[in-house]
Amino acid sequence: MLDKMMKTQLFAWVDRRLGLEEIIKSQLTEYPAPKNLNYMWNFGSLALLVLVLQILTGIFLVMYYKPSAELTQGGFTVAFDSVERIMRDVNFGWLLRYMHAVGASMFFVVVYMHIGRGLYYGSYKEPRELLWIIGVIILLIMQGAAFFGYLLPWGQMSFWGATVITNLFGAIPILGEYIGQILVGGFAVGDPTLNRFFSLHYLFPLLLVAIVGGHIHALHTVHSNNPEGIDVHKPEEQINFHPYYTIKDAFGVAFFLLFYCYIVFFNPQLGGYFIEVDNYVPANNLQTPAHIAPVWYLTPWYTILRSFPDKLMGVAAMGGSLAILFVLPFLDRSKVRSARYRPMFRLMVIMFFIDVIVLGYCGHSAPTSVLKVVGQIATAYYFAFFLLLPLVNKFDRTKPVPEGI
Amino acid sequence: MKINKTLLAIGAISVLLFSTPVMASGGGAALSHAEIDVTNQKQIQRGLMVFADVCMGCHSAKYVTYRGLMDYPEIGLTRIEVDELRGQNSLLTGLISDLTIEDAIISYGVAPPDLSLVVPGRRGGADYIYSLLIGYVHDPENKVPEGNFNAVFPGNRIAMPDPLSWLEHDESETAELKQQANDVAAFLAFIADPHQNERRAIGFWVMCFLVLLTLVLWRLKVEVWKDVKH
Amino acid sequence: MADQADQSRRNFLYIAAGGLGAVAAGATAIPFVGSMLPAADTLAASKTEYDVSTVEEGQLVVIQWQGKPVFVVNRTEELLKQVDGHDDKLKDPNSEAIPAVQAEWMETPEQRKYRAIKPEYLIAVASCTHLGCIPLYKPTTGRKDWGDSVPDDWFGGWHCPCHGSFYDISARVSNGSPAPHNLHVMKYKFISDTTVLIG
Repeated sequence: MLDKMMKTQLFAWVDRRLGLEEIIKSQLTEYPAPKNLNYMWNFGSLALLVLVLQILTGIFLVMYYKPSAELTQGGFTVAFDSVERIMRDVNFGWLLRYMHAVGASMFFVVVYMHIGRGLYYGSYKEPRELLWIIGVIILLIMQGAAFFGYLLPWGQMSFWGATVITNLFGAIPILGEYIGQILVGGFAVGDPTLNRFFSLHYLFPLLLVAIVGGHIHALHTVHSNNPEGIDVHKPEEQINFHPYYTIKDAFGVAFFLLFYCYIVFFNPQLGGYFIEVDNYVPANNLQTPAHIAPVWYLTPWYTILRSFPDKLMGVAAMGGSLAILFVLPFLDRSKVRSARYRPMFRLMVIMFFIDVIVLGYCGHSAPTSVLKVVGQIATAYYFAFFLLLPLVNKFDRTKPVPEGI
Repeated sequence: MKINKTLLAIGAISVLLFSTPVMASGGGAALSHAEIDVTNQKQIQRGLMVFADVCMGCHSAKYVTYRGLMDYPEIGLTRIEVDELRGQNSLLTGLISDLTIEDAIISYGVAPPDLSLVVPGRRGGADYIYSLLIGYVHDPENKVPEGNFNAVFPGNRIAMPDPLSWLEHDESETAELKQQANDVAAFLAFIADPHQNERRAIGFWVMCFLVLLTLVLWRLKVEVWKDVKH
Repeated sequence: MADQADQSRRNFLYIAAGGLGAVAAGATAIPFVGSMLPAADTLAASKTEYDVSTVEEGQLVVIQWQGKPVFVVNRTEELLKQVDGHDDKLKDPNSEAIPAVQAEWMETPEQRKYRAIKPEYLIAVASCTHLGCIPLYKPTTGRKDWGDSVPDDWFGGWHCPCHGSFYDISARVSNGSPAPHNLHVMKYKFISDTTVLIG
C-alpha cells in the first residue's frame, strides 16, 4: 500500500519539496536490519509508542488540570480538586487520567526491558557507544519527568516524595542549599514548587522527543545490533525494515496493548504500584505517611541512597549509580558483544538483573534490619558488576562467535 | 518464538516478589471480606442513607454532589429525594458535614477526613472500611484504656467512636450491623470512582477487539516472514 | 499454487489488519475529542432555575444563564395586546427562521405570537441577534416615552442602541433592522407553577 501511495501525484508534489521518497527509502523500505532480531528488539518501538501516548494524554489532561496548591474545603487543594474533576466530570477524563498514570509506569517497564536487552546483547559496545549514552540521557530525563509529574496531583505521596528528594540536594556541599531553593522556589515544597514542576513536566517530554530523534539517528548511522552480537554486513543476512520489522513491531504493539489496556480498564492502581494508596489522601505538610517509598520504578536508586548512613555518601552513590551507566562502554572492552558467547559475563549480567529487582524490593519495603543488609549487599553488587568488567574480560572464556546468522 | 527461559525465571521472581499488596492492616487483625456490589443500586442507596444519617454528622464527601446522586444510575435518586436531602443547598454542592474542623478537634482531637476517596486511600480498601465498622469489639488486652478500641485501625486507638454503636455488636444485631457496614462500604467504594462500571464495560469490548487485532497481526507477521529464510 | 493461496491470505490479512487498525485509531480518538466537550459540571451549571413570581407586573429583569444575559418580562394584559397588528412590519413574525428563535413547544399560532409557554412571562436571550448588545426595554407604544429614538408608529418592545435594531413586545425583529433574527427563545420549562428551568 505504501508503494501505491508513493506513486500518486500528491506524493510527487510533496516529495519534490521535502525529499520524502529518499527518507522513506533510507529509513524504512530500503533500510537494512539483521534478519535474526528477536522480540527483545520490539521494546524500542514500544517505548516510542508510550512516549506519544503520554504526550497526547498529557496535553488533553492539561486542558483541565490546575497547578495550584491553594487550599480548598476539607484539606484538599485546587490541584487535587482538578484531578478529581477530571475523574468525575470531564467526558472520558477518567480514561485519560488512568491512561496517563498507567502509561507512566509502563514507560519504565518497556524502557527497562529495552536497557536489559542492550546490556545482555552488548548493544552498548563499539560502534554504538554514543547510541547507549544518548539512551542513558533519555533514562535520566524520563526519571526527571516522572518525578516532576508525580507532584502534580498533590497527594500525600506527591508532597512527601518531592520533599524527600528535594532535601537530598541539600546534601551537596556548598551549592546544595541554592540548588534546593531553586528547585523548590521557597523553603519547603509548596505552590511555587508545584507551578515550576508543572512547567518542567511539560517541557521534559518535549525534550525527549528531540533526544529520541537523536537516538534513532545514532541508531540508523550504525545499524542495529543482533542477538549473536556479530557484525552483519552481508545482504543475505539483512532484510528491509519495512515490511518485516514494521509488521513485527505492529504485532508487538498489539500484544503490549493487551497488557496496557487490561490494566487501564480493570486494575489501574495495580495493587498500589501504579497509583499509590497514599496519593488518594490530600497532601498534609504536618503529617508524614507511615510508609514513604518512591514509585516502584525509582525504588532501586532509593535503596542505593539508603544503603549509606552518611547522607552525602548516599546521594553520591545514587548519582554514581546513574553516572556509571555512561561509562559502561568504556569499562567493558570485550570484543565479543553478546552474552550468549560470554559465559562469565552472562552469569554476572543475569545476576545484575536479579540484583536490580532485589534493590527495587528493598526500596519499596519498610527498612527492617534484614532488608537494610540485603540492600547494602545488592548495592555493592550493583557497583561491582560495572567495576569488575575490565577484570571479567581477562578471565572470561568466551565461546567462538558464529560466522554468520 | 523461542522464549528465553532465563527471562521467564526473572519475570516469575519479580511477579512473586511484588504481588503482595498489603492486606493486613497495621492494627494487626486480618481484614474481613466486604460483600459489596458496586452495580447494585439498592445496596448503594442503603449505604447512602446510612452515610447521610450517620456519617455526615462529622464526615464530608465533597466530591459527591447532590446532582450526582440523581445523575449516576448506580445511585439514581429522584429529584424529590434529593431535594429532601439537600435542604437549602444547591444541587451543585457536595455532601458537606455541618461539623466544623475547629469543633471536631475540640471533640475528637482530629479532623474527620473527607470520605470521597477513603476506599482507594486506605490499604485494604472496601474490606478495610467494612472491617473497621465491625471492628469496635471489646478490648481484650486493655490496649486502649481511655479511648476507642478498634481491631483493625493501625495502632488500635481510633479517634472516631463507634458510629454504629446502637447496634450492640451482640449476636442478634450482628446481621444488621454487618449489612449496614457492607452497605456503607459499597456506597463509598462506588463514589470513589463513579465511572468504574462504565470503565469495565468498555474494557471488555476493548479487550475483545485487541485479542482479535493481536491474532490478525500475528498471522500477518508469520505470513510476511515466510519470505525470510531464518 | 501455494503461492496464490499465500498471496490471497496475505492480502486478506493486510486488509484485516488495516481495517482493524483504522477502527482502533478512530476509537482511540473518541475519548480525546470527547474530553473537549463541555464537562458534566459545566453542563449542570448550564441550567438555571428562576422563580418568575418575583417579577412584578410590567417589570423586566435580566438574569444570567450560561453566562449570557436573559430577559424575563412579566407582560401585563395591556402589553399582551401589543403583539397584534404589525405582522407586516416584522421580518419573521412566526419565528420560522432558525431553530434558536423558535422553541420546540412553539406549535400553535398563539404560541408563536406570544413566544412563551405562559403568555405573561416572556423569556428570551437578551443578546441582539446583530452583534450581541443588550437591547433597551421600551414597552409602551408611540413616542411619548421614548422620543425620536423610536419610529412614530412604535409598537412597543425593545430598541438596540448599538446599531438601531427594533423588536416588538414578543422580541420579534422589525423590518429594516440590522439584526437578522428574533431574540432567541431558548429551551425552558416550568417545573412548578412559578419556577422555570432554563436550558
